[in-house]
Amino acid sequence: MAEALLELGVMFAAIAGVGALANRLGQSVIPFYIVAGMVLGEFVLGRVALPVVGTTYIPESEFIAIGAELGIVFLLFFLGLEFNLDRLLARRRQIGTAGTIDLANFGAGFVLGWLVFGAFLPAFLIAGIVYISSSAVITKSLIDLGWIANDEAEPMLGTLVYEDLFIAVYLAVASAIALGGGDVGAAAVDVGIAIGFILGLLGLVQFGTPAFARLVDTTNREFIALRSIATVVLVAGGALALGVSEAVAAFFVGMAFASTDHTHEIETLLEPVRDTFAAVFFFWIGLVTDPLLFGGVAALIALAVIVTTPTKLITGFLAGRAFDLNARRSTRVALGMTTRGEFSLIIATIAVTAGEAGAFDPALAATINAFAVGYVLVMAILGTTLMQYSEPFESAVASWLDRSEPAGDGESSG
Amino acid sequence: MPITESDLPGVGKKFEINLDDGEMVVVIHNTGKREVFRRPNPDADSEKVFEFSDDLARTIGSIIEGAHFQPVEPATQETTLPGGILLEWYELHPGSPLIGETLESADIGNRTGLAVVAIQRDDEVIDSPGAQTTLREGDTLIGVGTPENCEAFEEILTG
Repeated sequence: MAEALLELGVMFAAIAGVGALANRLGQSVIPFYIVAGMVLGEFVLGRVALPVVGTTYIPESEFIAIGAELGIVFLLFFLGLEFNLDRLLARRRQIGTAGTIDLANFGAGFVLGWLVFGAFLPAFLIAGIVYISSSAVITKSLIDLGWIANDEAEPMLGTLVYEDLFIAVYLAVASAIALGGGDVGAAAVDVGIAIGFILGLLGLVQFGTPAFARLVDTTNREFIALRSIATVVLVAGGALALGVSEAVAAFFVGMAFASTDHTHEIETLLEPVRDTFAAVFFFWIGLVTDPLLFGGVAALIALAVIVTTPTKLITGFLAGRAFDLNARRSTRVALGMTTRGEFSLIIATIAVTAGEAGAFDPALAATINAFAVGYVLVMAILGTTLMQYSEPFESAVASWLDRSEPAGDGESSG
Repeated sequence: MPITESDLPGVGKKFEINLDDGEMVVVIHNTGKREVFRRPNPDADSEKVFEFSDDLARTIGSIIEGAHFQPVEPATQETTLPGGILLEWYELHPGSPLIGETLESADIGNRTGLAVVAIQRDDEVIDSPGAQTTLREGDTLIGVGTPENCEAFEEILTG
């Protein structure tokens, strides 16, 4: 007991420490949390003998694994809570265009995965991992750089909303296929159950709002927090027990709470809870990732970075254009959207979970996980850095477009 | 003074206010934090001017609104209640056709939809004034209603 508590203390101290360091460096905290987990886990610290204490490391305890699970649940719960269908519909032409162009990244990832692994499920997972940009990292950079007040924030946040909706359906399908053993035909029933479950949850969102509103209709903050946590964790747990993605269930519970008058209060109360468990999730991802596996997937990571950075740059630029932005601002959208983060890791955990359940080749699962972690470490830092040093890219694109478009269509001033 | 309001998913709301010399952008975060930006023209980058906590922003807002000192007396006063209902107050200036009428004979409720909830007369306040209350010159009527109700009342106030 004492040992387990001390391990948790070391974990949180490490998270808090590297978080402060990341902040000072102007970087996202996510890659730092992952590296902290990796360094303190059995694959790094566990392999060295320290002078006094001998070999000691933080094992993947049940608490950390469950904490990571809660991190996924709360991340998706907040996505649902902040998801606003009206907002999507109000700008459906622009967001629809930008988001649909963005799907090209999914296709590129699928082709890449198929060429490397030659099988459907790994290709499908790789496609998801390289498709989804990081809401957390991009939003933080937008605020830090002050771009949030500029026009480029709208295509970025709009495309992220589209991606969120896509990923909710994707997670349900991917986890059903993975847990069904990777055979698409045999998984058809599981996919059917998953889609039935989603439809059930959509019904809950549509007709259950009064019930959700009554549940949190109290002035006691403690009860609001506990009741919303109880609802989301209970539904997510129930979903997982049925073999449906817990993340998707959490997303829809968030959407159901979003239509009540207490959205803002729930957000304020649960934000620290989400941040705590999300940090545990990133730390856990580091714990279960063997950096030695990076050697085996380094080529794949490099290939993915080389292929999917330009594809995101192009789709991001076109997203900016779909919002009628000039070349300079569209370039910023392009640079920002290259950032990948938390959702790529959540997709990787599908492989890990299926591997542990015996439905998926564990070696392949470990490879995909190592790929996702390595890829996110590169893309989160690359994306943040590109946004910080966007000036030369903006000038280059603006002058290049001006030359190729002598009619002056590129830069519109208004 | 056109003000554009837009949502920032996961962040909060953005308000763009056109000024004579450029634009002011106010970002209100879901956390309550306010950021005020300025840009010389719509194409320029926004430069952050101020950042306030929720409490500080409210205090500064009330100072700018004139809650503590108003050198100029505005023609009408209004406060918007949740749902877009206005709480307005009107002074009965000499010559108003309402002077001398009772609330019943003036029939304000039926003619305009505005509900007179209180009358301030010198230092006293008549709250929930009855139908027989006679309106006098110098009274301040406090009414609640939609913007249309208020507009209709302003018409019969001046005749």
